[in-house]
Amino acid sequence: MSELTRTPNAGRPLAALGAARHAEAILAAILSETGADGFHVKGARRVEGQVQADSLHSFAAAMKSRVGFEHLSAISCVDWIAQGEFELVYHFWSYRDNCLVSAHVRIDRAIASMDTITDLWMPASFFERDIHEFFGVVFQGNTDLERYILTDWKGPPPMRKDFVSRDFAHEHFHYKDYEPTWDEMIEGGYHGSRGKSGGAE
Amino acid sequence: MAEKELTQRSAWDKVLANLRKRSLWMLHYCTGCGAVELPPTMTSRFDMERFGIMPMVTPRQADILLITGYLSVKTLKRVILIYEQMVAPKYVVGFGSCTINGGMYWNSYTTIKALDRYLPVEMYLAGCMPRPEAIITGFNALIDKIAKGEANSWKDYYENYEFYHKNQQHVFGDIETHHDVTDDGKYFRVVEATR
Repeated sequence: MSELTRTPNAGRPLAALGAARHAEAILAAILSETGADGFHVKGARRVEGQVQADSLHSFAAAMKSRVGFEHLSAISCVDWIAQGEFELVYHFWSYRDNCLVSAHVRIDRAIASMDTITDLWMPASFFERDIHEFFGVVFQGNTDLERYILTDWKGPPPMRKDFVSRDFAHEHFHYKDYEPTWDEMIEGGYHGSRGKSGGAE
Repeated sequence: MAEKELTQRSAWDKVLANLRKRSLWMLHYCTGCGAVELPPTMTSRFDMERFGIMPMVTPRQADILLITGYLSVKTLKRVILIYEQMVAPKYVVGFGSCTINGGMYWNSYTTIKALDRYLPVEMYLAGCMPRPEAIITGFNALIDKIAKGEANSWKDYYENYEFYHKNQQHVFGDIETHHDVTDDGKYFRVVEATR
């Protein structure tokens, strides 16, 4: 066994880990162990497919315990505004197979609610918090959906397609007006804009 | 006002300014991408320490607050807390076009567009981003300003705190600071001097 065939899971002996499977074998395992259809092989190390929103939790649990995808890489979100849906994409990674499985879940955009998977993967909490902050999707059962980056945010979730960043920015921030006297100010030393263009709006 | 102060400067003020201009410590706090221009400015190629400028890790001992790039609303709050901890005289230097008018984040929903609405900016370094030569030139201009006794923007924060506080509130709602700015203004003899 050469060093090249070792997986990143260096702590465990290779015999216990088993040899890496092909994408077709992983697809067969997904179909038999989770009962989810609608998956297909996308590439040599990519498998993807659709999962219903209410069965995502049991699917993820089966992926973790029985199919051997022990790592949750990320959860991402896409806003399909024309169809009135959010698409959540769960990325599962297997250290044994070096393969990525993407499970696509469509949820109603108006309700924007989804079950949490923090009981399976604690790090999922952070992804869910992020999606909650930027798309407004509520993850039922996640107790830590506090704001992370937009701590003093007053507007709607900014990554939604119907959020117009430009209008929001022009409404909430002070802009500098162009002043033809800037050249002179630069020559004579600039002392701040107070008094030039008035106070707070 | 600057001219009046200039004529009233005592000999001691001039000595003090000359000492002060040669030992400027810059708070080592980097907000945006402009921070990548600082390592070459600090280290041997451009070596800003030959002008007496060096990085300092605590705001209590720093003189310069260099805002290196875009400021998100969350970062601005921290910058204000840091600024109020600094001991006067203190100089805010806006670095890069983002601090001047938002730069390439002109339409961004979470970056501020004009730094001098929230903090009294002593000087701006234009550019996206300014090269170390520009930073050195800017610091030299700041040194000249301090020597002439004209670098007094920091007093504006205490004299016109209502203006800055109003703008800060416009972005944050209520901002909790650990400093009583009016008391600080009295301590630095800014507020009483104007009364």
